[in-house]
Amino acid sequence: MRLARLALLTALVTSVSVFAVTAATAGAGRAGGTTTITFWHAYAENASAPEMQRLTKIVIPRFEKLNPGIKVEQVPFSYSSLQQKLTTSVAGGTLPDVIRADLAWVPQYAKLGAFAKLDQAMPDFQKLAKAVYPGSLATNYYKGHYYGLPLDTNTRVLMYNKDALASAGITSPPTTFDALRAAAPKLKAKGIYLFADGGTGGWNVLPWIWSGGGSLTNKTFTRATGYLNSAKSVAAVQLLVDLYKEGAIPSLITGDAGATGTEDGLATGKYATILDGPWMFPIFRKAYPNFKLQTALVPKGPGGSVSVVGGEDIVMSQSSKKKAAAEQFIRFMLSPWTQTEMAHAGQMPVRADVSKQLTKINSYFGIFAQQLKVARPRTPSPNWPQIDTVLGKAVASAIQGNESTKAALDDAARQIDQLLAG
Amino acid sequence: MSATIQTGALGRSADAPRPRALLFDRRRRRNAYAAYLFLAPGFLLFALVILYPIARAFQISLYEWSIVPGATSRFLGLENYDRALHDPVFWRSLGNTGFYMAVTVPTQIVLGLAAAVLLDARMPARGLFRALYYLPVITSWVVVSLLFRYLFMTDGGLVNWVLHDGLHVIDHNVQWLGSRWTAMTAISVLGIWKGVGWSMVIFLAALQGVPRELYEAAAVDGAGSWRSFRGITLPTLLPVVAFVTVMLVIGGFNVFISVFLITNGGPLDQTQVLLTYMYRQAFSFLDFGYGSALSFTLTLIVFALSLAQLRIFARRGAA
Repeated sequence: MRLARLALLTALVTSVSVFAVTAATAGAGRAGGTTTITFWHAYAENASAPEMQRLTKIVIPRFEKLNPGIKVEQVPFSYSSLQQKLTTSVAGGTLPDVIRADLAWVPQYAKLGAFAKLDQAMPDFQKLAKAVYPGSLATNYYKGHYYGLPLDTNTRVLMYNKDALASAGITSPPTTFDALRAAAPKLKAKGIYLFADGGTGGWNVLPWIWSGGGSLTNKTFTRATGYLNSAKSVAAVQLLVDLYKEGAIPSLITGDAGATGTEDGLATGKYATILDGPWMFPIFRKAYPNFKLQTALVPKGPGGSVSVVGGEDIVMSQSSKKKAAAEQFIRFMLSPWTQTEMAHAGQMPVRADVSKQLTKINSYFGIFAQQLKVARPRTPSPNWPQIDTVLGKAVASAIQGNESTKAALDDAARQIDQLLAG
Repeated sequence: MSATIQTGALGRSADAPRPRALLFDRRRRRNAYAAYLFLAPGFLLFALVILYPIARAFQISLYEWSIVPGATSRFLGLENYDRALHDPVFWRSLGNTGFYMAVTVPTQIVLGLAAAVLLDARMPARGLFRALYYLPVITSWVVVSLLFRYLFMTDGGLVNWVLHDGLHVIDHNVQWLGSRWTAMTAISVLGIWKGVGWSMVIFLAALQGVPRELYEAAAVDGAGSWRSFRGITLPTLLPVVAFVTVMLVIGGFNVFISVFLITNGGPLDQTQVLLTYMYRQAFSFLDFGYGSALSFTLTLIVFALSLAQLRIFARRGAA
């Protein structure tokens, strides 16, 4: 029995020491003559994608030429695995120096203390901040500090299938809420859905709520009650509810994984309109070369035509040992030259001075630049993923008819109040 | 069965101090020492990858856990567990996990056993059929999950096409993945299809151990094939059925990849199972305390169920 206990003890002690050794080796830094900074991003996993080509063949080589002694090691991830990787790296203390992060992630990780306060770290932060769109810059803000700078931006506009509309006798895209309501029965008679979307989260429904004159929270992002459940917000969501009930919106919107996706539906004429971003152009060109994609501004409601700001921010990890080199790289990525370079690969610049020549680079950038003038960011909050889920469930529940729109949004506003406080 | 007898004998030998027994006891101890030595590497690995994470998960589940090294986490006690008990989505995921288990486990055993008995008989191309039935087991969960998602698409999915355009048994396309039970059914069908081969192989191996003479004797006594199956095959295979059941129940409770890739818990959390819900809490919301509480609860359920099953089968003299 004693031996048994001894064996057990030995086993435990050995396992603990093995653990300590691995932990120690993981913590040791690398030595080298030149400074190598690591850059994680999710531009594209495929090395032949245009973003990757520009980044690895043109942008990074030029940076290394201009900054002798600094090497950039870029690591591409898929979008979802990058977030997962960030989480495990925060826990393991192994974050890279620079990260291109989805703007919705920044407050979440800033709260954890994973990202450096760029407004304190970079002496020329104000100069850079002034050069970019304020709506994009705002996504980097958390509790009194900016944890990053915008890197690229985008927004959603109305994309439509001209032939699908024409088959129902509609010659111009619906530009207002009323035009949408009027078009619904005509399209339904032809077996075409008026509008399709893949969810009911903030990215999906905020353009409707804002264009309807409503909002998710107050201006300081501290309260949702009185805003998300205001008469105007409720009326905007009610538009989606009514259209769904009429059979003008497919069940894809409530998260039916078996429904036809927006791009397939639009290109094949099953769906007449969708809301989506500039990345869809290359996707359509590849999958449906014969389909001619048309765009228009988000349909106007009582609040105008307001869309949602998307895009990525560039941040520096708090744990980086090479902050000076990392800052240099961030500066370079925000320079007019780099922003123009990446625009050729479909990345919309965040610098106002570059955006003037956007349509020369890519003709379809024009509509997005126009929509961006009246686009707003989602609520910057570390609890955004939860807020997004609460909002999504409430709208989906109203759409499915489980409860009235007002009741669903009342309840969601209450829950979001708590999440905003937390 | 033999293992239980031995430990029983070891326990009794201590209170019978006869000289021969003592000598025997000492040798036995030396043997035990060697055994522990050989067991040590395995135990070490077990401690490192199973015991340590379990203990750690339990610790994390008691906190509002911050994943940043060195950051302080707020101690909550059992609050996270209390939260789970009052969380309707937790109960729904438990229900969905239970549904998946209740549907897939018995079906896999029955179909697996049937396939094994059929493929145990001498027949042409037996090897080919065995390989074909086993093929789903070795394919990637990711690939077949995506495949099933396409099969069950509302428009253009093969399942609806066959039912609607082929057999005309439904008058409109079913939204398989659009509501709770139809989506869980689709996910369960995938689980069964992918798992039957595994139980078949285990049963096939066990069938090799059934003495042929028993069948011959039964045949002489005039037993038909169904009678032989019930009287000989089934009783001999009972310990294997026990093993397969325990393994399948554990596997059923751990269903994740298929749900994650086919519906990701949607629509409206209707198809969440315990692991997808845990994953969302931990990795989307970074709420590792609650996520750990969920996974620890799952561990307790699986542990209790496995224990109960082993007890039941042991009482029936099968394990």
